[in-house]
Amino acid sequence: MPFHVEARNLYKEYSGKKVLTDISFGVESGEIFALIGPNGAGKTTLLRILDLLEEPSSGTVWFEGTQVNCSARDRQALRRRIGMVFQQTVLFNMNVFDNVAYGLKVRGENRKSAEQKVIAALELVQLRGFEHKNALALSGGEAQRVALAQALVTEPELLLLDEPTANLDPRNVSIIEEALSRVNRERKSTMIMATHNMFQAENLAHRVVVLNEGRIERIGTFQEIFGKPSKFLMDFARLENIFSGVSRVTAEGTSIVDVGDGLSVEAAFEKVGNTTIYVRPEDIFLSTHPLVSSARNTFEGRIVQISDFGSVVKLKVRAGKDFIVQITKRSFNEMRLNVDSRVFLAFKASSVQTV
Amino acid sequence: MENSLLEALQRAFQPIFSLNQEVLNITLLSLRVSGTAVLIGALIGVPIGTVLGLRRFRGKQILIRFVDITLRSIVNTFMGLPPVVVGLAVYLLLTASGPLGPLGLLYTPTAMIITQLVMVVPIIIGITMSAVGSVEKAIREKALSLGATDRQAAWMVLKEARMGMLTAIIVAFGAAISEVGGIMITGGNIRWFTRTLTTAIVVEVELGNFALAISLGIILLSMSFAINVMLTIIQLRGAER
Amino acid sequence: MIAFIILAFVVASVFAYEQYLSSQKSVVVLATTTSTYDSGLLDYLMPKFESKYGVSVHIISVGTGQAIETAKRGDADLVLVHSKKLELEFTNSTYGIHRVGVMYNDFIIIGPTNDSAGINGLTNTTEAFKRIANKGAEGNAIFVSRADRSGTNMLELSIWIKLGMAPSNTTQAWYLEAGASMGTVLRMANEKGAYTLTDRATWLSFRSQLSRMAVLVQSDEQLLNPYAVILVNPEKYPRRNYKMAVALAKFMISEEGQNLIASFIKEGETLFTPIARNLELAKKLGFPDQEYELAWYDAQP
Repeated sequence: MPFHVEARNLYKEYSGKKVLTDISFGVESGEIFALIGPNGAGKTTLLRILDLLEEPSSGTVWFEGTQVNCSARDRQALRRRIGMVFQQTVLFNMNVFDNVAYGLKVRGENRKSAEQKVIAALELVQLRGFEHKNALALSGGEAQRVALAQALVTEPELLLLDEPTANLDPRNVSIIEEALSRVNRERKSTMIMATHNMFQAENLAHRVVVLNEGRIERIGTFQEIFGKPSKFLMDFARLENIFSGVSRVTAEGTSIVDVGDGLSVEAAFEKVGNTTIYVRPEDIFLSTHPLVSSARNTFEGRIVQISDFGSVVKLKVRAGKDFIVQITKRSFNEMRLNVDSRVFLAFKASSVQTV
Repeated sequence: MENSLLEALQRAFQPIFSLNQEVLNITLLSLRVSGTAVLIGALIGVPIGTVLGLRRFRGKQILIRFVDITLRSIVNTFMGLPPVVVGLAVYLLLTASGPLGPLGLLYTPTAMIITQLVMVVPIIIGITMSAVGSVEKAIREKALSLGATDRQAAWMVLKEARMGMLTAIIVAFGAAISEVGGIMITGGNIRWFTRTLTTAIVVEVELGNFALAISLGIILLSMSFAINVMLTIIQLRGAER
Repeated sequence: MIAFIILAFVVASVFAYEQYLSSQKSVVVLATTTSTYDSGLLDYLMPKFESKYGVSVHIISVGTGQAIETAKRGDADLVLVHSKKLELEFTNSTYGIHRVGVMYNDFIIIGPTNDSAGINGLTNTTEAFKRIANKGAEGNAIFVSRADRSGTNMLELSIWIKLGMAPSNTTQAWYLEAGASMGTVLRMANEKGAYTLTDRATWLSFRSQLSRMAVLVQSDEQLLNPYAVILVNPEKYPRRNYKMAVALAKFMISEEGQNLIASFIKEGETLFTPIARNLELAKKLGFPDQEYELAWYDAQP
């Protein structure tokens, strides 16, 4: 069912502090729209306004071409078409089944017909079999998945999510992302999702809005925005491997960028003159032997720093310039890498982004 | 003197185990007075505490906020009211030359129940209010976002706060059973009639009957301990959040 | 709302139950002093009266001043106290009627066995107090006063007055004002090795706990401590149990009651001496109307 959302000139102030300033955007029906921004940017406030839990200081919200008005009854009716997953998981002190069934219960649905829907929702988040467990005894990831099931069981036309996978381990993250993907595909639900996670935004969202201190920085597709990231975005997204240099075009239609210290990087775009490029740590291949591959960029270097991030390891490799490379913990252990290990880096020309 | 403490301790256990008639009377009276006060206090205090705890969402206007703050301050003040002051006030009400004199309630267990009731209601209101208030925002919004009406959301808040309400009742009972000043004034500490564990301890210490005083003290401590065990269990269950 | 109805129901049934319990027997409320109650006499005397008349005697034991205040407020049916001054004030106010002498005990001065003030054996209380004050000023003696307007306290103060003194702790460091009952004061005196004035009954009750104390001064006529019973005027408080108050007073001054009082023994000694029917002694102890009152009581049904 089509559910178009539009925010027009939203302002929100809390005791003199401006939390949202002139927020305007539209979300197409069936679109997944990501809100990106640092803490305090106003993402949560914006979502709460969209969930009709709070009113903007000024400005209007439009659903389906109709302006939301203040009458409690209308707001309540609208809220029933919207589902929200909060940043801090809140569950009721009862078993998982009753928690998920709550949305149906308040709509007057009886237990029998609710049962099927609840089971389907639990399957979606891979929690079949958890029906009788007390919700407060679940792990963080399981709890958040229940919260998602709660929101999904009523088949909302609009789904709002406030950093749904923050602080979760990769397995839970992927279960939730898969569920969201599926729901969006099958039901064409509109989704607006606040996230810190760039990969998540890139993977799931059709379009992205960047919020900073209550204002919209950029709106567009992920490629549009990260193709030319602003300074702010670079800091926020913690982009690494940023190099400045002079670029010249080759006969094959690629560019070679001289970034200094004897290093030249081949990039899959055409640009001449001063340019800034960056390469994502996950796009760089690491090998203990020279690689013969299709990658246009190969460099030899030494590991100078190792940072353990649990399931991934980031290595600083000095190969003329310092590169940050990201590999899985498993690979790290298998390759038996140490500081001062001699390694070979490789990445494709297409992995080189320009600012 | 050094000997007598040990002797007293030894002799202290005797009345307990022999189910001394007077000790039984005293213990049962304590339970009856404090139990009744807390029962009625809960019926009054839990609803009021709930309403005050929910008050946040009823209105955002300045006037309502002002009333809200005033009510809360009043509750907090009364929570800390010295029981002996309550006793004095109730005494002045119930004395034969006072406004409620004709009821002839002074120096009866009823007067003691009234005294403890006045003491206990603010405690129950205060703790319930706090318990409801602490879950109110998160639970209410969660319920609303799942499609509940205001009423349905309020009900969920109550359900989630039920542990807090139980805590309120248990704390109130603990306070009532160990109170002594107020009920001494309004009950008169009459033997067999208005003498409770606490007031009996006072008189027995007066008379130097330390053995008996200690046995009464042991009974009182056991009750206090039992109460605290119950509270701890509730808190641990609640801590799973 | 339903909650309100349930609440009202619970309150009403509790109230009714309590009333039922209290109305089981007729009740008469006797206000008396802590020292009287603590002596144990009343717990000995009252059961006989209670079983004879099928009535419950509720005893409120507080300081003399408070006992009389309680009666004046109409919260008691009769009083049993021992402070002539306050008693007469009570009867003069017309709230108390038919004051009659019941018994007496005596006061004694007790003090540390080493008796630094050297009063042992004296029979003149005034002289004894003088010596205590002198030694106290030197820092060699302490006196503990009840300082609570009780009968004991009033007597103690009257003796200081004879010496032209009105001691207080602020100017006399040796004079401690306890503001407590007799038992507490005795224990305090024992802890501090101090002198104090006490009624013999309480002394006998607590003697075993007071290892450092001994009786030093006794048998002074000044130290006689007569007890009176006074009824609360039914015209002021018609709702009280006047009938039973009269019966209780009658019991206490009857031959049976008086014999019981005389037979009350503690630590091998009689504590109280009955005087109701001893007209001469009664008059001497401050009951000039004893004969008249006895006749009145005897005439009551």
